[in-house]
Amino acid sequence: MKTPGPAELPASQERLLRERLQVSGYLADEDLSTTVWLASALQRPLLIEGDAGVGKTALATALAQSQNAPLVRLQCFEGLDLAQAAYEWNYGRQLMAIRLNESAPNGTGRVQEADVFSREYLLERPLLRAISQAGPCVLLIDEIDRADEAFEAFLLEVLAEYQITVPEIGTIRASHIPQVILTSNGTRELSDALRRRCLYHYLDYPSLAREIAIVKAALPHANSRLVEDAVQFVQRLRREDLSKIPGIAETLDWVRALFQMQHSHLPEDMASVLGTLGCLLKTREDRFSMSSDRLRQLVEGRRTVGVAENSNEQAKVAV
Amino acid sequence: MNTSAKEQQASLPSERLASFAALLRDHGLVVGVTEQQSMLQAVLYFGALQEKPIQAAWRAIACHTHREWKLWPDLYERFWHPEKLKGGVKVSGQTRPSRNLRQSVQAMHEQMDTASQPGSQSSAPQTAGDMPAVGLDENDSGSPRAQGGASRTEALHQRDGQMWMPQDLSALQNLARQITAKLQARPTRRWRVAPRGSRLDLRQTLRRSVAWGGELMQPAWKVKRVEPPKLFILADVSRSMESHAALFLRVARAFALEADARVFVFHTRLAEVTPYMHRDTPAIQEKVNAVTAGFGGGTRIAASLQEFTRQHARAQLNRGARVWVFSDGFDTDAPELLTIALQEIRARGARITWFHPTKQVPSANALQLSRGHIERFVPMASLADLAAARHVLH
Repeated sequence: MKTPGPAELPASQERLLRERLQVSGYLADEDLSTTVWLASALQRPLLIEGDAGVGKTALATALAQSQNAPLVRLQCFEGLDLAQAAYEWNYGRQLMAIRLNESAPNGTGRVQEADVFSREYLLERPLLRAISQAGPCVLLIDEIDRADEAFEAFLLEVLAEYQITVPEIGTIRASHIPQVILTSNGTRELSDALRRRCLYHYLDYPSLAREIAIVKAALPHANSRLVEDAVQFVQRLRREDLSKIPGIAETLDWVRALFQMQHSHLPEDMASVLGTLGCLLKTREDRFSMSSDRLRQLVEGRRTVGVAENSNEQAKVAV
Repeated sequence: MNTSAKEQQASLPSERLASFAALLRDHGLVVGVTEQQSMLQAVLYFGALQEKPIQAAWRAIACHTHREWKLWPDLYERFWHPEKLKGGVKVSGQTRPSRNLRQSVQAMHEQMDTASQPGSQSSAPQTAGDMPAVGLDENDSGSPRAQGGASRTEALHQRDGQMWMPQDLSALQNLARQITAKLQARPTRRWRVAPRGSRLDLRQTLRRSVAWGGELMQPAWKVKRVEPPKLFILADVSRSMESHAALFLRVARAFALEADARVFVFHTRLAEVTPYMHRDTPAIQEKVNAVTAGFGGGTRIAASLQEFTRQHARAQLNRGARVWVFSDGFDTDAPELLTIALQEIRARGARITWFHPTKQVPSANALQLSRGHIERFVPMASLADLAAARHVLH
């Protein structure tokens, strides 16, 4: 192992990566940026788990944007197979090429097998597209837990060797190893083999300060008091016993809604807050459990201090 | 990384890393040679003095699941910064802070509680040092569950034969799995693609035929899709059932995990506790206790069942759904109301099984009146009863 020169010190590279992510609108904490950097250094895929809406997919998008690389996205679902994930022959074009050749006037045009089974008749699906990129690229395999075990097993080969074998052509090897990010919501246990191939990071809900920074970065024009109050409220809401905890995306939606309604701070009257709460609470039970009284309590979690101070001041004045 | 400490130990960094890996393996993390190589490589990348990035990098390399992710900070501190931990810790493969007897007993109870949640085998306290404490406790297994420390089941009476050992819990889980497998699945009108199906999937077959220029070379098949039945468990946690509530909730939890059952508890009111059953925090029993605490004014079975049908189950209560009621049937509502409530459930096509903690079918008036609506009565006073009943539950 050669020691890297001062210009390419990992620490500075990692800081650079974090700054670039920030420019692309993703505020990563130090641990996450270290992990992302390490994944590219070790050329290992990165498995990110976490609740819905904590920014797993957004990380991949921001990473691609920060490196100016194309993002190739494979959305997994039940029954996903090779033809939809890796490659498929363009049968229609192959047939057409054969027919055209047969009807060519100078009867010499006997079509060769190799002609119709060449790369131009191959439909590239996300995995093959990521591998055959000429430059750097980010491959996002989204919600891997939704695909079935068979597909997961196939993925092992791709992620370990970064190659795909097409029987008619041969093995297609990646010239540039793509940076792979897998996300999972944990609806199914992934196999140990896949887990061990990957670096792992668990994304949690952001801290108050970080979430405020995220919202401010996304909505620079919103009043900062509105942002702070709203984020504080959401953080408090997350501690409630909800069946679907609002993520960052929901916070952004909600603050955007309040901003569009031209509020400069959280409105006093709860009815108008209740109207916008659909951005945060996505199930009937959660919506039902948040009455306007409960809402007021949650909002006033912040205001009780102020009230106490006020009453103190009043007491002082009275004295 | 605390290199100075390493040098003091006069051992090679890789040896130190290997013993750290051994500690991680002791706690259930999968750290093989590959992982150790990657960890060393990370050290070489960042330089041995950069503790923060190395810690983050190692965490990404060594952890593979959420459970391990949560375990990491503790293990890391324990090995590399033992001086920060309270209590004496010796840095070897088996590190643990020393405890006195009271703490050990309490830890064992906590361990038993967490062992009741299969997802989270917290392996941490299972070091050799805990063993004498276990032996001690076996000597006086008849005593209340906690001695000296706070008991999480304090509100309940002393129960004989209610000590739940980890093997009981795994037996219960196995039983729940067997019973779940025997619950008859309901065929739906939908079809799904299957390699060895009974019917030709024409659309898929035609799509595949394109590869052979329209020749139907590779047929695709499909089979009827079956849906596992929905299971609802309603456990009576009123004062009269106090001594059975623990068993009922354990059974309910086993089925919540295995069969994805929705679990409700009721006394004078009904509350859904399914989320508590799935979440694996040690505080679960306390939370359920909190839900069930503060009552004693009798049981309103009929009203609770009605609330269940009309508000909670609604559309999910369809043909083939199973409703299991764990109760002794003593109702403070009028007896006829129970008949009406059960009739309402039956009208949706759901099948009702009544589990009673007594040997005989309870003689409560309300139950006798509505026997016709209940498909089966099953005694359940212990795990053995449930095991005996596994052939009739389908």
